[in-house]
Amino acid sequence: MSLNASLLTAVQALSADTGALQATNSNIANANTPGYTRKVAILQEAAPTNENNLSVGNGVVLEGYQSVRDELVQTQIQQETQAQSGANAQLSSLQQIQPTFTTSTQDIGTEMSALFSSISTLSTNPSSSSSRQAVLVAGQNLATAFNTASNTLTSQQAGLNTQVTQDVSQINQLTKQIAALNPQIAAMQAAGQDGGTLKDQQDQLVLSLSKLTNVSVTQSNDGVTLSTGNGTALVVGSKSFALQTATDSSGMTTVIDPNGIDITKSISGGDLGGTIQTRDTTIPGLLTQLNSLANQFASAFNNVQTSGTDQNGAAGIDFFKASGTATTISAGNITMNMTDPTQIAASTDGTSGGSGNLVNFSNVQTIAPAGGQTPGNAYASLVYQVGSLTSNANAESTATTSSLNQLNDQLSSVSGVSIDEESANLITYQQAYEAAARVVSTIQELFTVTMSMGTAAAA
Amino acid sequence: MRVTNMLPDIQYQMQQSQQALASATQQVSTGLRVNQLSDDPAASANMVVSLASSANVDQYTSNVNSVLPRMQTADSAMSSIVTSLNSAVTLGTSGASSAILTANKQSISAEVQSVLASVISQANTSYNGVYVFGGSESTTPPFVAASTTYNSSQGSVATPLTTTTALTAGSLTTIGDATTGETMTFKAASGDTVATLQQAIASAVVAGTLSAGTSATINAQGQLSIGTNDASSGIVVTSNDIVLGTMAADPNTAVANAYAYVGNSSVNTVQVGDSLHVATNLPGSQLLTAGANVIGSLTSLINALQSGTDTQIGTATNAVSSALTYVGQQRVPLDSTISQLNSQDSYLSQEKITLTTQQDSLVGISLADAATNLSQAQLNNGAVLAAAAKVMPQTLLDYLK
Repeated sequence: MSLNASLLTAVQALSADTGALQATNSNIANANTPGYTRKVAILQEAAPTNENNLSVGNGVVLEGYQSVRDELVQTQIQQETQAQSGANAQLSSLQQIQPTFTTSTQDIGTEMSALFSSISTLSTNPSSSSSRQAVLVAGQNLATAFNTASNTLTSQQAGLNTQVTQDVSQINQLTKQIAALNPQIAAMQAAGQDGGTLKDQQDQLVLSLSKLTNVSVTQSNDGVTLSTGNGTALVVGSKSFALQTATDSSGMTTVIDPNGIDITKSISGGDLGGTIQTRDTTIPGLLTQLNSLANQFASAFNNVQTSGTDQNGAAGIDFFKASGTATTISAGNITMNMTDPTQIAASTDGTSGGSGNLVNFSNVQTIAPAGGQTPGNAYASLVYQVGSLTSNANAESTATTSSLNQLNDQLSSVSGVSIDEESANLITYQQAYEAAARVVSTIQELFTVTMSMGTAAAA
Repeated sequence: MRVTNMLPDIQYQMQQSQQALASATQQVSTGLRVNQLSDDPAASANMVVSLASSANVDQYTSNVNSVLPRMQTADSAMSSIVTSLNSAVTLGTSGASSAILTANKQSISAEVQSVLASVISQANTSYNGVYVFGGSESTTPPFVAASTTYNSSQGSVATPLTTTTALTAGSLTTIGDATTGETMTFKAASGDTVATLQQAIASAVVAGTLSAGTSATINAQGQLSIGTNDASSGIVVTSNDIVLGTMAADPNTAVANAYAYVGNSSVNTVQVGDSLHVATNLPGSQLLTAGANVIGSLTSLINALQSGTDTQIGTATNAVSSALTYVGQQRVPLDSTISQLNSQDSYLSQEKITLTTQQDSLVGISLADAATNLSQAQLNNGAVLAAAAKVMPQTLLDYLK
């Protein structure tokens, strides 16, 4: 082997070590960059040459860089992120709903008890105008508690409409960015390059998308293809397909796919899925129970009221009514029908001091309607359901967070940057570089010796 | 497993331990294990039921405290009536003697009149504005001096009431009869007229509720006039019908020593337990005019002392004596109610304690447990932070320097 060949081998080694140092440098620089995948320099032994039937190695060449990925774990992280974001969205809404159904003052249960207490107090002196007034006030307080609970739920629903719009807008931005990266990554891969940095960016964008909704991710020659849970394409190659929002007849914001089809019901997972689940299933379920309780309670009270006679001897009129033009009493519209305390139909015998009907009012508390629950038990069921839904969402959020941590650890064990490891690599490549440089220096000396052969200096 | 960056795990663990610490701190500061529904949904739901029971117990206790003094007032009044009747029996017994001069009998009669006035005063006892012996008509005195004629304020010569004048549906007209000791209550139905009321009065006369001769007519002034032929007794009439207006006694027809009951026989009840209701009043008719007619017997004794024979005085005295026994019997259920209320008050106090204990066990936490939890959370948090402080700064670079 000639000195020139040896020098070339040493220079290749210097180049390879510099490249490896560059990879280490990049890894160290991005040690805390979210979504960064560590790079490794691909060093390969150069093809040997044969001289005089001797095979001589030609040193090392830097083949390129490779990002260390685990696509399976990456996919699992995306799926778990969808579940976590969905649970968090539900938890966030329920935590705002929960205080309305607390067991402290001014909730429905407390106001219900206060109304029954005021009626019981009236029974001790049915002619007392102050006791009669207290019943009216307690009735209005209960109606207000129903109104407040209903308003909290419907306001939450309205707020979630805004969230749906925002989520769809973010989804469209992300799919646009993801689609834009597809051809760049494909071009690099076609050129035999890793495309790691762009792939990292794309993975991060897909992860952000997973926080918003459930997406199906498939790889093709054109890059990633993304579609929603029902198969609606979001990204194909360099094209992205924007989702739209619309408002349905009940005032709810719906999600419309590029073909104009309402896909709201098929969306699950992610913040959007959790938001829609809360808005379209959880809250309506609670509202139905709440309205049923308000309606049954009002009907029971009205039945008792109209079966008795008031302080003036007249037949009782309804205790509660629906406000405005509504004909069916619900939690949102329940209000007092009476304003005059003498209209409370306490009596059954027509006397102003009779209290025979008050026991019937009290019985509303303990007698369950056919096939139903007592008002107190119905409210307790509602409280249990709100608590249980919140608790379950919290548990799911905690579980998915824990699971996500494990998956991230798993991904990090493959793709993450270890400062210790990179420090060791740094020393390794530095030493290799120094050794190669020493080889160059040695060859230079050999050249000098060779060039001075036969000269005085050589002698 | 290749470990690269421990920071995310450390951050998660620190967050978890700090959440536990915050939760433990809240438990100590509030004394509650359940601070929001999601902490324990089942306990929260049971708490709703328990709080409703608690509110009921509070109300039952309030009702007991409201009704008990009223019942005690009623009992005290009945005790006074018993004393008055004893006095009347003594006076009657002395008056029945042939040795007593007529002038002295008149004097004794005056004393019995005072006794009657005292009995009426006790019968009209009220507590906080509620007449305890008026039935459900508890806002006006139940026993009123009787007259033979009552006239309506509505109706005049120019616009007289007639038999076809429609009455107000749901209105009540009450006629108390001093002789029979009973009360007729007429509740006007839709379509009823003055004629309907007249028929009802006639029927009550036939039934014996009202004295013979009691009737309703339209007088010369165009008013409805309800009267009785019994000049020694009398009636009391009330009405809340705006068509008739106030029924007022004709001042020239007042009957001395005659009182009629214008309350009703309804008994109001109040709930003092989940399945316990007690009466809050006694109908005066049941106490003083029905059965052994207390007022009637005293009136008879007065009349006998004024103009009767010794035998008649003795008979009237025996009637008062029977009335005395009757009133004593009527006190029994009242005393029983008072005893029941006292027992219930004690029971409710215990029940309140039971419910409070139940609520504590549902959502509360003992200070010892809360302090232990806090201590444990502090320890855990300290351990996590110490471990983080130990591990986070260490890298290979520290050893290469």
